[in-house]
Amino acid sequence: MLQVLRLFGDYLSQYFKTRLAYRADFFGELVSNLIFELINLVFIVVVFQHVPLLNDWSRDEIIFIYGYFLIPYALFTMFFGFWDFNERYIIRGEMDRVLTRPIHNLAQVCLESIAPDRIFGVFSGLIIMGYAAIKLELSFAWYDLLLFVGLVISSVLIYAGVYTAIAAISFFSDSRTGIAPMIWNIQNYGRYPVDVYNGVIRFILTWILPFAFVGLYPSAYFLRKEEWYTYTMLTPVMGLIFFSLGLFVWNWGIKRYQGAGS
Amino acid sequence: MIQVNKLEKVFRIHQARPGLAGALRDLFDRQYKTVKAVDGVSFSVEAGEMFALIGENGAGKSTTIKMLTGILTPSAGEVVINGFVPYKQREQYVTSIGVVFGQRSQLWWDLSPMESFRLLKRVYKVDEEEGNRWLNRLIDELDLGSFVHQPVRKLSLGQRMRCEIAASLIHKPKLLFLDEPTVGLDVLVKQKIREFLRRLNETERTTILLTTHDVSDIEALCRRVLVMDQGRLIFDGLLGDLKEKWGAGTEVVFQFKKRTSLEEVRTALGAADYELVPENEYALAVRIPRSQEMLPYVLSTVMSRFDVSDVKVKEASTEEIVRNIYSATGEVMVHA
Repeated sequence: MLQVLRLFGDYLSQYFKTRLAYRADFFGELVSNLIFELINLVFIVVVFQHVPLLNDWSRDEIIFIYGYFLIPYALFTMFFGFWDFNERYIIRGEMDRVLTRPIHNLAQVCLESIAPDRIFGVFSGLIIMGYAAIKLELSFAWYDLLLFVGLVISSVLIYAGVYTAIAAISFFSDSRTGIAPMIWNIQNYGRYPVDVYNGVIRFILTWILPFAFVGLYPSAYFLRKEEWYTYTMLTPVMGLIFFSLGLFVWNWGIKRYQGAGS
Repeated sequence: MIQVNKLEKVFRIHQARPGLAGALRDLFDRQYKTVKAVDGVSFSVEAGEMFALIGENGAGKSTTIKMLTGILTPSAGEVVINGFVPYKQREQYVTSIGVVFGQRSQLWWDLSPMESFRLLKRVYKVDEEEGNRWLNRLIDELDLGSFVHQPVRKLSLGQRMRCEIAASLIHKPKLLFLDEPTVGLDVLVKQKIREFLRRLNETERTTILLTTHDVSDIEALCRRVLVMDQGRLIFDGLLGDLKEKWGAGTEVVFQFKKRTSLEEVRTALGAADYELVPENEYALAVRIPRSQEMLPYVLSTVMSRFDVSDVKVKEASTEEIVRNIYSATGEVMVHA
């Protein structure tokens, strides 16, 4: 684990080294990323101006949840950017190489497809949360910061677990997987208060594909919605469970890996 | 060092039905065909050996190598290498081996080889000082100095291949797998790589396993050869024995002063155990399988009947032996 962290630094510095090799590209992308996030920010604020109350949730509370959601989501896409896993590692056979190196294969795949520029998503999230927090006149204690970090990590683990399990399907089936877009759509629901949905969807978003733990449940704590506190407490547990599950499916898939012909 | 016992790998391949209707049926009822890519292969290898695994495309070489390197899990049988079971203790095991897949790169495309080496040193937790000394030796012996700081994508195939070999050795493995390392390289680069491998084997006692289609690789490097066909090991022994078993035969090439047809030579020689192969209008080869008294007879008969300007006597090359093996096993397959 320690070695993976150290390698993370090495990969990161290599990433920037390659990016900096194309100077114009690097600054171009930096600027376009910033502009993209800015437009996103404006867009969110404008759209939510038109959203009336949803159940018992005020507009600013919904904005807050959305802001929270952006943070684990950005971190997740930063570290788990292997959306082309099937194509790149299975069909093109890069997995062979990964398996002949002495680091856990999932860690290697993550390191190789790391996308540090997603960090801007974290900033946007923080700005949106800050904006909503001021509007709602929320107050925080010092330990809320620690809780926040812990909850964000747990949320990332949930995403990571589900996504890893989906990517691992590639080990079992040689065809391209069509499940990913569906999951992608479902995860969108997690960023809104789940009690606006009917019971079935709520159940799914809580226990099957627990994307409510990536948005609503953890932010409910900071919004001081005590009726959701149990779920907030469950966030780290769900994070660990789902990440372990994802890892388990992945490791199982590795055993079934058939390699690409050469 | 390598112990392989009754190794087996079975692939289950989905058989797609033809047409749209077939595709619809496939949705609900899939048909599978099982293919034994590797079938009961056993052999053992001592430390410091250099040996080649040869066979036609699809003979099971790559699958075998992938099981030996821990990439694939065998369906049955045992593999123990350097005291590890590759697919079970993968992460510890791979620190003791180096792998070069000729068709695939392990270098970072946008980085220079030097940066890749540095990253790999971290991956393998190589001691900084000793690692550098070893790396300098690799760079020196493989002659990488002039391009080691250029991005990999700007290197020629030969340069890249030498870097690949250096990259696979960064952690000083005891065992090196080379899967078709000389594919598409020119003679000079091949020569360089072979010399390097031989020296590596001599000085570090590195065990080297080579799969190749290039017979000259085998002749230059290996004493021991394993031949695979249709998943089975059909030969395991010294290169010399292989020659004797499959290639005991001699070829005599006659160069005539006048145009000479096959038929003329055939009538002159009469019915006997030989084969005529025309080279051009003025030359033809007589292939004589294993009979020792045939050679003087062929030589004297042809020389006395025709105007011969030149005679070459060739012993069968390894290349031909390999061709013999492949075509012979091909026949076996047809009859079976």
